[in-house]
Amino acid sequence: MGKTIKIGPFHPELEESVYFKLVADKNSIVQEVEIVNGFIHRGMESLVTNRNFMQNLILTERVCSLCSNNHPFTFVMAVEKIANIKVPSRAEALRVVADEIKRAASNLFNLAMLSHLTHSYELMKDTLETREYLQDLKETIWGNRMDMSVNLFTGVKYDLDAKKVVHILEKLNLAIPKIKELQKRFENDEIIKQRCVGVGILPTEKALEIGVTGPVARGSGINNDVRVKAPYSLYALRPELQPRTKPRNGCDVLSRAMARFDDIIEAVRIIKDLLSDLPRGKTYLEKRPHIPEGEAVVRTEAPRGELIYYLKTDGSQKPIRMRWKVPTYTNWEALKVMILGDKVENVTIILNSIDPCISCTER
Amino acid sequence: MNTSKFIKILRETLGEQCSIKEDKDSYGNHSIWMKLKVKESINVVANSIKSFKGRCIVATAYKNRDGSHTIIYHFDINGTILNVEIKTNDNMFFSITPIIPSANWAEREIREMYGVEPIGHPNTDRLFLDYSIAKGVLNEFIPLSKLQRGVSKTDIMWKKVEEDINNG
Repeated sequence: MGKTIKIGPFHPELEESVYFKLVADKNSIVQEVEIVNGFIHRGMESLVTNRNFMQNLILTERVCSLCSNNHPFTFVMAVEKIANIKVPSRAEALRVVADEIKRAASNLFNLAMLSHLTHSYELMKDTLETREYLQDLKETIWGNRMDMSVNLFTGVKYDLDAKKVVHILEKLNLAIPKIKELQKRFENDEIIKQRCVGVGILPTEKALEIGVTGPVARGSGINNDVRVKAPYSLYALRPELQPRTKPRNGCDVLSRAMARFDDIIEAVRIIKDLLSDLPRGKTYLEKRPHIPEGEAVVRTEAPRGELIYYLKTDGSQKPIRMRWKVPTYTNWEALKVMILGDKVENVTIILNSIDPCISCTER
Repeated sequence: MNTSKFIKILRETLGEQCSIKEDKDSYGNHSIWMKLKVKESINVVANSIKSFKGRCIVATAYKNRDGSHTIIYHFDINGTILNVEIKTNDNMFFSITPIIPSANWAEREIREMYGVEPIGHPNTDRLFLDYSIAKGVLNEFIPLSKLQRGVSKTDIMWKKVEEDINNG
């Protein structure tokens, strides 16, 4: 008879509320796993059909804090597709700058959490300090450390002058050597290797079957990055901006962490390339465009993977149906594969390795 | 992806049972919109997608004014999105999770939010909502005043409160 272990729904090693019911054998190897969700379900998909498009723009910024740029970015793209609006190139570029800053900061946060879970506190401190370069940038340019409130239908709410461009480049130049140094430390740190190599295995064929995306897929040898497979915004207009990351083949926690480092380094490269040749022109076309009847499906690459929005409109001020799916929604099922057969002590590290965003998933 | 080959296969298999529309966004991304006249045909589509190594991204459901439900599956085949629409009048549809496992959560969510049952789905557990909340909550409009008095159709919560009172 196995031992039943319960983790959550509130636990110091869990970022958000999840409830694990595990059955482990005498060697503490997980034999059965049951994951209970729903602690942060807010019925947002119902709420958005009772709000107008402008209100929904504000609402999508608040689905969750770490993805607070991707949701409105994808939502405005869906609206623009229905309204047949072509966004000015400068606005597209400014959207990508904000998105990549957010991606780098989000991934660094997850890596800091990984070092926290392995009790490597020096590494955690340094990772969060490096993230502060990006947080400072967000605060200086967009006025907020989490919700940057960048997007507007037909464009963006902010602009960059020469002084701000120089400021961003200066900060990034300070951050780059620190990020590269951190990458080496994560790759070679004995405690990290001990806790992460060969832990939480997700074989490539299982990853394909479940349909995982983002760094979780890239850690299992699959690159289904939306910016490459179905490029949007400036990634489509200027293909040289597409990330050049290669998937990792370890299929374990460390591979997923390293895939995140690859994403961070590419994000910084994309921002620097963009700022060196920022398109000129308008930052938006009109503040309140008419949104006709129609339906659209749009997707983007969020820090955790593929984010998709379905929008159906009838020409009125409110959507008939608005549906979104975040990467954790599919990556979650992969947890069962990763946890089964692994040690109980590794469960929270494995959970962290998919960088779960429960607020987004449950909506 | 060779979309023309995929569409050709489906047209040959389903014939008049489906209508297909293709579109391209301003960035050049191709997508396919397919409407199935018979909801059972979703199994044929799912098998074709599986043979093309596709995956189910998610599925959307909504209730129509006549009481029926529309379900739209969103699939990905190597970067191309395929949206497949079916309609159900009897609160049930055939699950494709046994064919494409990535449809698992999407179908379970439709069951608990709209009360539409995916027949043959391997998992009967709730996904997000507690068992005390009735299936199909997104079918209803619940005013705030009613919400504050509790939307539960069972008395599980009240029994727990009563138990605590009785136990002092």
